[in-house]
Amino acid sequence: MSTDLVKESSAERAVRFERDALAFTDQLYGAALRYTKNPHDAKDLVQDTYLKAFASFHQFEPGTNLKAWLYRVLTTTFINTYRKDQRRPQLSAGEIEDWQLADAASHTSDQGKSAEVEALENLPDSDIKRALQDIPEEFRIAVYLADVEGFSYKEIAEIVGVPAGTVMSRLHRGRKQLRERLTEYAKELGYSTDKKSGGKP
Amino acid sequence: MTFDFILGCNEVLNSFVFLIEGNLELPQMNMVEVHISTCPACKAELEHEQAVHTLMQDVLRRSCEEKAPEELHDAIYRQIHEQTTGTFTEVVTQYSMTEISIEIDEFGQIEHREVTIEHTEEIRFLNQENPNDDGLTPEDQGR
Repeated sequence: MSTDLVKESSAERAVRFERDALAFTDQLYGAALRYTKNPHDAKDLVQDTYLKAFASFHQFEPGTNLKAWLYRVLTTTFINTYRKDQRRPQLSAGEIEDWQLADAASHTSDQGKSAEVEALENLPDSDIKRALQDIPEEFRIAVYLADVEGFSYKEIAEIVGVPAGTVMSRLHRGRKQLRERLTEYAKELGYSTDKKSGGKP
Repeated sequence: MTFDFILGCNEVLNSFVFLIEGNLELPQMNMVEVHISTCPACKAELEHEQAVHTLMQDVLRRSCEEKAPEELHDAIYRQIHEQTTGTFTEVVTQYSMTEISIEIDEFGQIEHREVTIEHTEEIRFLNQENPNDDGLTPEDQGR
C-alpha cells in the first residue's frame, strides 16, 4: 500500500481527491450550515475542510471510511476555529452521570400520541432547523451526525474526539431537547400535543 | 418466585430510550419484553416512541438536505489546483542500495560493514500547454 502511495504523483492524488472526496461537498455544506448557523461561515468552513483534507490526503488510508474522515476534519476545524470567539454554553461536569436520571415517564393518551406524530409530520423545515439551532452545540453536533448522517456512536466518538459514553449522553439529551422544542412549535402552530387531552383543535 | 422479572411501568417506560437505541443489556431487555407482553399501555407507549424516533430522523434528514452553492464547488476546485500548480507531471524515483563488505584482517578478525544508500529523485514537468488557467474541471486534468 505504501509503495503505491509513493508512486502516486501529486496530480494523480489531486484526481483521486476530486473523484472521491469532492462528492461530499453538498453533505459537508449541510453539516457546516447546522454547525455555524450561517451560509457565509459554512462556505468558509467547507473550503477550509477541503484544504486541510487535501493537504493530509496522503495520510488517509484508502479503503477506510472517507466520509467519516472528512467529517472529522470538518468537525475538528469547526471546533478549533469557528467557535473560538463565540460564547458557548458550558456543559455541566456531570454531563455523563446525570443524564440517565430520566424524567419520570408516564403513559400518554392515544390522542396525544397521534397529535405528536401529526405535528412532526407537518412541521415546516424552517421550524426543524430552528429547533436544531436552539439546542447546545455539543448536542446539535451529536444529533446531526447520528440522525442526519447515520454515523454510529463509535464513529461519532472518533469524529468529535470524545468517549462513546459522552456521545450517548449528548445524543440522548439532544434528542430530548429537540423533541421538546418541536412540541412547543407544534403548539404555536395549533397542534395540541398535550399529554392528557390531545387532539387538534 | 423470581422477583427479578417484575418491573413496574415506570422502570419499563424509562428503559425505552435504551431499548430503541439498542443499548439495553439482554437480561434487562427480557424483563421489559415480559412486562410489555402483559401491559398494553406500555406496549402502545413503546410503539409510539419507536415511531417518533424514526419520524424525527426522517424529518431531520429531509429538512437538513442542502445543496452547496455553485461558487463553493468552484472555489474548492480552484483551491486544489492552486495546490498542484505546475506539477501536472511528477516523477518520483527512489533508489535504495545496501552494500555489504566482509573483511578479514591480518589478525584473523572479521570486520563486517553495511552501508545503505538511499536516493530520491523528483522531477517535475511544468505543463506549458495548459489551455485555461482558471476554470479547470476534473476532465481537464491530464491523467
